[in-house]
Amino acid sequence: MELSDEAILKAMDRFAAIREQGTLPNLLAFARVLKTAGLKVGLSQIIDASHSLEFVNVGSREDFRAVLRSNLISEKEEIATFDHIFDCFWQNRSPQGSPMQSAAAPEVSAEDETGESGDGEGSLEEVIAQVSDQEAENKEEEPFSVPTYSPVEARNRKDFSEMGMEESRAMSQAILLIASKIATQVSRRKKRGAKGDEIDPRWTMRRSIKYGGEVIELVSRKRRIKKTRVVLLCDVSGSMDCYSRFLIQFMYGLQNELWGVETFVFSTSLSRITHLIRTKDIGSALERIAGSVVGWSGGTNIGRSLSMFNREFAPSMVTHRTVVVIISDGWDRGDVSLLEREMQSVKRRCHRIIWLNPLLASENYEPLCKGMQAALPYLDLFLSVHNLNSLVALGRTLQKLVA
Amino acid sequence: MNPKKLTIEKIQEALRKQKYICDRSLSTVIYLSMTMGKPVLLEGEAGVGKTEVAKVLAEVMETKLIRLQCYEGLDANNALYEWNYPKQMLRIKLEEVSRRDRDAVETQIFTEEYLIKRPLLEAIQSDGATPAVLLIDEIDRADMEFEAFLLEVLSDFQITIPEIGTIRAKLRPYVFLTSNRTREIHDALKRRCLYHWIDYPTFEKEYEIVTTKFPQIRAHLAKRICAFMQQVRQMNFYKRPGVAETLDWASALMTLNRHELDEKTVNETMGCVFKYREDLHHLREEVAGKKLDLGQMIKEQTEFQA
Repeated sequence: MELSDEAILKAMDRFAAIREQGTLPNLLAFARVLKTAGLKVGLSQIIDASHSLEFVNVGSREDFRAVLRSNLISEKEEIATFDHIFDCFWQNRSPQGSPMQSAAAPEVSAEDETGESGDGEGSLEEVIAQVSDQEAENKEEEPFSVPTYSPVEARNRKDFSEMGMEESRAMSQAILLIASKIATQVSRRKKRGAKGDEIDPRWTMRRSIKYGGEVIELVSRKRRIKKTRVVLLCDVSGSMDCYSRFLIQFMYGLQNELWGVETFVFSTSLSRITHLIRTKDIGSALERIAGSVVGWSGGTNIGRSLSMFNREFAPSMVTHRTVVVIISDGWDRGDVSLLEREMQSVKRRCHRIIWLNPLLASENYEPLCKGMQAALPYLDLFLSVHNLNSLVALGRTLQKLVA
Repeated sequence: MNPKKLTIEKIQEALRKQKYICDRSLSTVIYLSMTMGKPVLLEGEAGVGKTEVAKVLAEVMETKLIRLQCYEGLDANNALYEWNYPKQMLRIKLEEVSRRDRDAVETQIFTEEYLIKRPLLEAIQSDGATPAVLLIDEIDRADMEFEAFLLEVLSDFQITIPEIGTIRAKLRPYVFLTSNRTREIHDALKRRCLYHWIDYPTFEKEYEIVTTKFPQIRAHLAKRICAFMQQVRQMNFYKRPGVAETLDWASALMTLNRHELDEKTVNETMGCVFKYREDLHHLREEVAGKKLDLGQMIKEQTEFQA
């Protein structure tokens, strides 16, 4: 998450008074500013940091930075934010003084954070292209009708686009069911158990010690149920707008019910939001996501988003045990061949790809749009999510397929 | 090296002598960890030298390196200690023949002689002038439960074996954890560690690494290799090569007595850098299509350096 310079200044001003009082208050103030930016900094970490400072020469700016950084942050994604705030905070000796030098420095954009501008060549053109792309998208925003049901239908049939918060509990339960299905896989490792497929000689021997070495009890073992990891890629472009509440709840539900879920949102580019929705408080999470995701409700470029995912995240996050879940309507404005190539790449790396399409519910829907067609051959499951019934159905399907 | 007389510069210098080039921020983190007794969590892409740090440090400190390779299903039995059941069984059987006192046998078979020490216990029990280096490699591969268990060991540096008692560390080992980020490490564990992210090296650093590891390499070949690797990491490959690949490749080129990076040489030796058929294919296309222009690339890089 990126704070504007003004926001940092404002946060710094709040602590201006205590900053006069020496290193520790200063450090506390710094940690507070980091917290405002969404970094998780605990008191114990601050204490350790201040303790660490005793061992190094704080006169050296880079050592000072290294000490604070290694103590206060614990994720690669936080490094850019940390460095930016560090530069602002520890440069501006008097808070009321002249405008910060760093204000002149190029602000770290959200793209920098995701490392996209790392490819150096023609990033400016790319940004311009992206902006004009989005503008074009907004202009000709298709008069896009959502396949909804008649209002007399039961709440179960109601689209998520019109669902109130009071229904959210039922939905959470459905998600929980799905979550447990998506995330289960039979392991090759064995666990000891009373009833099992084969005998565990080692433990049989261990048990027999209490009978003086005579084998009386047989211990057996069976295959363990293994938890898989889930990577969730959510389309938040304009055409998905009416489902956004559902999406957020789905992301939230999945992430908080399951261990090891990574969540991304994409439109024209990709953002990792796992760390933003890890909290229990959905309201503040929403704020933070809105503040940090570029291109919410913008155009769609699935191919490019996937390419970014494959390059930056997939090598470390996706293994043969990972289920990749993509939620998108497949309306893609990017290069179809790129999309196809990237789908292939994801497919090769992961255990299963599940595509959830809210449009699939409509009876006359066929996956005709080019993006969807390109992706289709690589999917293990192509299912609909648009209302509570479909979620429950999804749970059942998964039960059959994944177990 | 004397652990009581460490400085950041000394660590950096000593690592360099052992052919590990590290920047100042990493040596600061190592220094802090050694003086404060806090574990270090190293993260970074594959092949940037995370494991190597611990190995080299053990050499520098002239101490034992105890390595715990994590994997799915790693449990306390394999990380901490286990009773040597077969040996105990044999003893029991033998004692049965000689018909000695049963109680005595029982106490005897639960002594250290019958204990199989796994890495964590070994690290805690290690004694000597300098603490051992404990490397817990690829912690992200282990299960959540193991992480929780590790948390306990790393906070107190003591292990309780019910039959024997509590074993406390005489010297706290220097602990290094590495992760490839295939999953998120739990916050509680992260909070106890100093965090450092090892990035792909810059051109200058990579050049230094290559020339340090292979002093006899020709400067212009080393430059070309590094320029090539820098370029390739910017491109879209299934698996981006790390420093380990750079070194493999440099070594291969030297073995083959090649001193120029022409298209033919690159094509012949690319197996050192790319390990996927698709990546090799992709690279050939790029080289043939002059998107990856070797001559141009080197020119730019040397100009940039000048």
